[in-house]
Amino acid sequence: MNMNQEIQDLVQRSKEIAREEKEKKGRLVFGTLCSYVPVEILHAFNILPVRLWGEDTNNERANTLLPAFICPPARNIIAMGLAGHYDFLDGVIHSYTCDSTCGLFNIWCRNLKPAFSFLLSPPYMNTDEAVEYCRAEFMALIAALENFTGKRFSADKLQESIRLYDVARERIGAIYRAKRNGSRVRYLDLYHMNLALQVLPIETVVPFYERYLSNVRMSPGQGERHRIMISGSVVSDQDILGRIEALGGDIVADDTCLGYRLVRERVPAGEDPISALVRYYLNLPPCGSRADFPARKDYILKTISCFDVNAVIFMHQKFCEPHLGDHPFLKNVLTEKRIPQIQLELEAEGLSGQMQTRLEGFIEMLGAR
Amino acid sequence: MEGKKTQKRLQANTALRQIITDFYAEGHKAKAEGRPVIWIPPMNGLIELFYAMGITPVFPENWAPLCAAIGANRKNFEYAAKRGFSNDLCGYFRNNVGYALDGINEENQPLNGLPKPDCLISFGAGCIPTMKTFQVLCDHFNVPIFRADLPQVAMEKIEKRHIAYAVTQIKRLIQFLENATGLKFDIDKLRQAVIYTDEACRLWDEIMATRSTIPSPFSAAEIGIMFVMVTRHGTEIAVNFLKDVLREVKERVARGQGVIPHEKIRLFWDNIPLWYNMQLFNYFEKWNAVVVAETYTSAWSLRLNPDKPLESIAYKSLVSYPLVSCVSLNKRIELITKAICEYKIDGAILHSNRSCRPISMGQLDIMRVLDEKLSVPSIMFDGDHMDGEKFSMAQFQTRIDAFMEMILEKKRASRSSVSRQIDG
Repeated sequence: MNMNQEIQDLVQRSKEIAREEKEKKGRLVFGTLCSYVPVEILHAFNILPVRLWGEDTNNERANTLLPAFICPPARNIIAMGLAGHYDFLDGVIHSYTCDSTCGLFNIWCRNLKPAFSFLLSPPYMNTDEAVEYCRAEFMALIAALENFTGKRFSADKLQESIRLYDVARERIGAIYRAKRNGSRVRYLDLYHMNLALQVLPIETVVPFYERYLSNVRMSPGQGERHRIMISGSVVSDQDILGRIEALGGDIVADDTCLGYRLVRERVPAGEDPISALVRYYLNLPPCGSRADFPARKDYILKTISCFDVNAVIFMHQKFCEPHLGDHPFLKNVLTEKRIPQIQLELEAEGLSGQMQTRLEGFIEMLGAR
Repeated sequence: MEGKKTQKRLQANTALRQIITDFYAEGHKAKAEGRPVIWIPPMNGLIELFYAMGITPVFPENWAPLCAAIGANRKNFEYAAKRGFSNDLCGYFRNNVGYALDGINEENQPLNGLPKPDCLISFGAGCIPTMKTFQVLCDHFNVPIFRADLPQVAMEKIEKRHIAYAVTQIKRLIQFLENATGLKFDIDKLRQAVIYTDEACRLWDEIMATRSTIPSPFSAAEIGIMFVMVTRHGTEIAVNFLKDVLREVKERVARGQGVIPHEKIRLFWDNIPLWYNMQLFNYFEKWNAVVVAETYTSAWSLRLNPDKPLESIAYKSLVSYPLVSCVSLNKRIELITKAICEYKIDGAILHSNRSCRPISMGQLDIMRVLDEKLSVPSIMFDGDHMDGEKFSMAQFQTRIDAFMEMILEKKRASRSSVSRQIDG
């Protein structure tokens, strides 16, 4: 089996693997909502964090709990919950990012009744006071976990968990950089590796990243393709990602809730592990729900420069207010820099005919430049 | 059905119109006199600080309902659309961004429009559209900006650490305001502002409580009195106005005067009203029905401690958004359940509001609680608190008519059952 298939299969089996971890190893399994949940803390309690994520195309089941004007990812997640896809979860944690996800968290807790639930309220800024406050939030989470699991928190175990996650992030970051430098890496592989980090036991995925990295090869033809960055919130439409690459686009960078933003930084050394972890999460490149325009502009332009991007595809979920609110500003930023861009609106329909036509036109336009 | 019914409008509305006019005039006066005009986000405990320091605040969010009421919202939506903002964004956002970026330059605006800002206060707080509104404004206006932080915490989970952090942000803001205006902060003046707010909240609760009387002395059509809770907290203006309102509604209660003479159905309203169609609340009169309680007005049901003025405004800032949104669905359901019992509600109307996801999420859970635990019938309709294009009056009327008939039938059946028990 090739490595593309291997990682894809692993991700596809993630719920089955989580069930096995629970049933055979007696591990608790917690669902996480958004990328700001400090999974290292869960891991230090021997809890398996599983990011709630999916592309259930039949999200009509969500109609019993959510209005139709909520973004498709939130509807997908609740639809999967109602269908029993996450019936193995012992707890759910949300770290406040957007209004809809917070609503989803509340509705999930009320209807699916996890034994443990926690809403983490991180600060929006990264000042000394914010670090101190966020540390207190993490401590509150730790206290709640101690109470729930009956286990004492161990700083040493947290240190080890941080090390493992750091290694994983470093490896994925290295694969992004290898792709940037011309190695033959499919973006769908990166997508699956990013997702694997979120939904699989960290111990399982690190060896895979290492093997993948040692197998990446330079591809001389890569330079002729259009170097694209995708930007949006939750992007799980693999058909669309695959189509972009099939049309001649090379997705070398991303600005999404799953990708490079989460693997670029490392947990700083030299502090107690909780404070260090706080700094890592507050240093993360800005998410549209948490950052102001200057920070978003700075990250996007730096990423474009770092990855030598020559076009941007905004992939916006229908009704996603954080990103729809940012879009005109970012569009103007790109226009000023003469970087071509296009906006796709995702409505849980996958690769529609209209979207395909627009993508074809866009890539063709890039070719004509 | 009966003939003419309404006795609804409170006399206090005359005073309210003047308060609204004065509020906007103050902003222009400050501008004309060279005092800094500072735009601030809504529903935070910053207003007490501003009034304590003698600074005139301007709330873009509060401007939006006014634009909707006078019909200026459509033009602002067009401006926002031309700037590339999606029609799926909240109507407050589209109105305020459209207005601030383009509409503000138009001539002959109602109340002379808003004076342009000399400073902006941009908080990571409240709902996403509020946060994004200020990010757009910060990008557009070339003025000093104060950025601060207010985490989203469920009301029942607010701890000392949250208050302490909010206080650090307020202290930073004080420094910024002192530098920007040359005015000095005085803790005693803030204490006095907190006393006014606390008194306003107490009066507010007392005013709202009169609606538990049958018949109710006023309906949701008077929700405009909330203007003083948003813009005049921290001042005697709010206290004096609310005292007058309380006196008036108490007189109505003493006379047994309801907003309609033959009140038969008492309703609860969830979510923001349709600001462009406040007459909607009068439609219920056709069925001798009155909206006697709503979720939105509970945002002001809180008490402050003047002995701890900074902590008080920090607390107020922390609770004002979660109280009405879905940061804590359980708390919201608890508040609604309490209101349903206290106000003797016969039925609930839930506005599924395309402009407000935080309040609209969880409404299906609320309906289930109403049905299964409280046996109170409810109905949901699609609408938008700012955009009339996303609301159909005809559909609304059809659904409401059927709902009212059902409630009346339920009440008749209940009365028959009681009669049978007495006779039997």
